[in-house]
Parts: sequence; C-alpha cells; structure tokens
Amino acid sequence: MTTSVFPTCQLLHTCRPRPHLLHRTPGSTTSNRRQLTLAVTATTRAMEAERKNDGALKKGIAEFYDESSGMWEDIWGDHMHHGFYDPDSTVSVSDHRAAQIRMIDEALRFAGLSEDPTKGPKSVVDVGCGIGGSSRYLARKYEAKCQGITLSPVQAQRANALAAAQGLADKASFQVADALEQPFPDGQFDLVWSMESGEHMPDKAKFVNELVRVAAPGATIIIVTWCHRDLAPSEEALQPWEKELLNKICKSYYLPAWCSTVDYVKLLESLSLQDIKTADWSPYVAPFWPAVIRSALTWKDMTSLLRSVVELAGGGVGVWEWNRDEGHLYSFTVAGAGAPGFDLQVSGRWLPVPLILCSPFRKL
Amino acid sequence: MRLLTHNMLSSNIKGVANGFPLGIEVEKVIEKQVELSADFLRNLFPKIEWKALVDAARTMGYAELPEEVDSSMLDSNEFLTKFHHALLELHLEEGALVCPETGRRFPVTKGIPNMLLHEDEV
Repeated sequence: MTTSVFPTCQLLHTCRPRPHLLHRTPGSTTSNRRQLTLAVTATTRAMEAERKNDGALKKGIAEFYDESSGMWEDIWGDHMHHGFYDPDSTVSVSDHRAAQIRMIDEALRFAGLSEDPTKGPKSVVDVGCGIGGSSRYLARKYEAKCQGITLSPVQAQRANALAAAQGLADKASFQVADALEQPFPDGQFDLVWSMESGEHMPDKAKFVNELVRVAAPGATIIIVTWCHRDLAPSEEALQPWEKELLNKICKSYYLPAWCSTVDYVKLLESLSLQDIKTADWSPYVAPFWPAVIRSALTWKDMTSLLRSVVELAGGGVGVWEWNRDEGHLYSFTVAGAGAPGFDLQVSGRWLPVPLILCSPFRKL
Repeated sequence: MRLLTHNMLSSNIKGVANGFPLGIEVEKVIEKQVELSADFLRNLFPKIEWKALVDAARTMGYAELPEEVDSSMLDSNEFLTKFHHALLELHLEEGALVCPETGRRFPVTKGIPNMLLHEDEV
C-alpha cells in the first residue's frame, strides 16, 4: 500500500486582454496520476462553514509568515517560491536562487510578456508578495512601479527595508492588506502577479474577482499556484485518501481547501477573460524538494534555541519562536514535530518529509 | 509520530541536563507503509542515535534491528529494509513521551506529540 501523492499542479494562463493563471505544485509524474486532492468547495453550504474559519486562517497565515520569514530568508533568500528546474535534474541548495528567478522569467514568458523592458508592464501588483522578491525583480526588469500586499506585518516591513537597501524604494512598495479586498482602485495595474499565494486564499472566487478588478483593460494576470488534479467527469470529489492526505498538508501550511485548475479557468471565463492558458509545471518544480530536504540534513552545528512555543496537539501547525545565534543557520522546517508527516512524491520517488526543527530537539 | 521524529526529540525542560532520549509509553501503534529510499536512509544514518532507535522500536513491538551497526551495513538491502521500517513505518498514534530526568509526560494524540512546555518549565 503506498501512501500519498502530492497534488499535481496546473499552470494557467490567460492572455490579452485579460490575465492568466499559472499554477504549480511539486511532485507528481505524468506516468503516475494518482493524485492528492481535497474536495473543492463548490456549494454555498461549504462556503459558509469556511467563512467562519477565515478569520482564524488569516491570523494563522500572518503569524506563520511573521515567524518563519526570517529563517526562510537566511536559507533561501528573498524569493519565497519554488524554483523552476529542468525535470529530473539534481540540484543543490546553491542552485535554487537562479531557479527561483527562472521561475519568474518562465512565468512571464508563458504569459507572452515581452522581453523588451520598454514594452513591459509599467504598473504591477504583487498579490501575496512575501518579502518582495518578485516585486523588486519586476521593478528592475521593467522599470515598473510595483506594489505588493501581504497579510504579514513582518514581511511587509522586511520587503520595504530590502527595497530601500537596494535603492528601489520609489519603485517597489509594500503594505499589509488582504488579497480578497485589495486596497486599490479598479483597473490600476497592467500586470497582476500572484506567485504561490493563491493556495492561501480561502475564497477562490473572491480572490480571482479582485485580481480581475484591479487589472487594467488589456492587462495580464499571472497566477502560479498549487492546485489539485482536475476531477474526472464522473467524480464529485477527490478520493477519501487523497482528501485525508491533502488535509494534512493544508493544516501544516495554513492552507484552505484546494481547487483544481479547471475551477480557476471557470472563474476566469465567468469574468469574460480571454486567452486563458494553463499548464502543469509539476515536473519543473519537483527537484526543489530534495534540495530542501538535503539542506535539512546538512545542518552543521546547532545551538539550543531560546524559548520555543510549540503547538502540536490536535494536528495544528507549530508556532515557532526562532532565535538565531550569530553565524548559525537553521534549517528550513515544516510544521511541527511528529505531525502525521506527509509524503512527497518527487521525481517518481516517495520521500517522507522529516519535520526537523529546533527545540524541542536534541542537538545534532 | 515516527521514530525518526522520536530520535530527534528531546525534553528541554529547564534544569534538565540530558532530555534525550524520551521514554515511550505505548497505547496504540500503527504501521503505515511508505516506499523505501536508500539515499534518504543513507543520508539520515549518521544523524541517528542508534541505541535510542533500537530501544524505541522494541518498545513499539519491533525487535529486528541489530544492536550494533556500522555504515557498511547500508549496502545491505536487508538492513535497509529493517532500518526503514523502524524509522519510518512505525507510528505511535496514542501514548506519551516521557522526560528521562523529570518523568514529565508529553502526550501523543492522533500521532502528534504535544511538546508544549508550561510557563515554569521554560
């Protein structure tokens, strides 16, 4: 009996005169299409139940990124998204930054955006901007004005600090805001960018609506996100074992229910977007995870941390308080120790993901 | 909770000199198969506290691990299978982990240990 399968990702793209979506998730080879999925919340009843949880979800997301962004940045730099790799390649942690930049460029290329910076977008919104990696890159590439939004005050602050440090404060600015209620007027941006943030949005319809609302006529929307597989015509929902596994991932990463690529396409079509294009980039992001795991396994010395507050009971995600001694890097970790760990399929192999973190751990 | 995790966990209660390894109180163990990755096991091997793993596995009802190991055994499929099984396929679903010095119990519920320390333990 095998275990879980990581959801496939689909890449969506819609072109002029409307936005496009890109999706991506790691894992999943084309030959093995048993995929993890979570039931799409299609009914109003389901949505009502979700609305109650949204406040807690938002808070959880903000805190999660408040807590972990510093550590992430230490190891992975200022891009908080997957890299884009040649399939089946083996990469080391040091290749990741180039791959993460390649991800941005591949997304732009898929969307048909011009390589010519003079013909590129002039105003950009970065929805779920993290610490602003994409925004600063796009600001430099196109000499565009980029505005980023995130739920995490720590991230927004860091993003602005990095922009200032890089002399980009006039081109890239960041604030705390909700992607479901963007603080911008209609039609302001000619590029609407959502790089690996869509998976956090509890209300996909609202999320997409807002992306479209703030997009100018003729604008491009790019979404790179994690989706579950499209359901077969005879299916109403994912398989129970798929739902169960995906649920564990959702709990670990503060993710609401997933939807499929087709769900996104339908939303975009309902808003009369044109040139909607999708693609599955699973094979291109799969090499990301072994690098992550290897970085966890190549810890050098680790000194004991100060206090750690761990909330593990009930399957909740750990809320970690990090402290770093000078000069020591702490490995990327996932969720809480001993959580029913999830299994990733990466390039056809199953790897259990160890949840290794600081205290309450012994020194390695 | 896998034994991989148990092998990394320690009681860091204030005043405890050595909180590793945690004792295991078993109420419910389940087995979940997962595909073996030799590379993964070989990478992990140097980080594993072997005696703690052997003892923990035995507590969970699995006594097949050799007491003594060396890295040459990583070439043996038979050894890797046992190592894999003990480390990754045995799950403590219900029970507790126990601080070796203070006896403080950390309950394990639905496979998740609650390592939350109280204010006075920090």
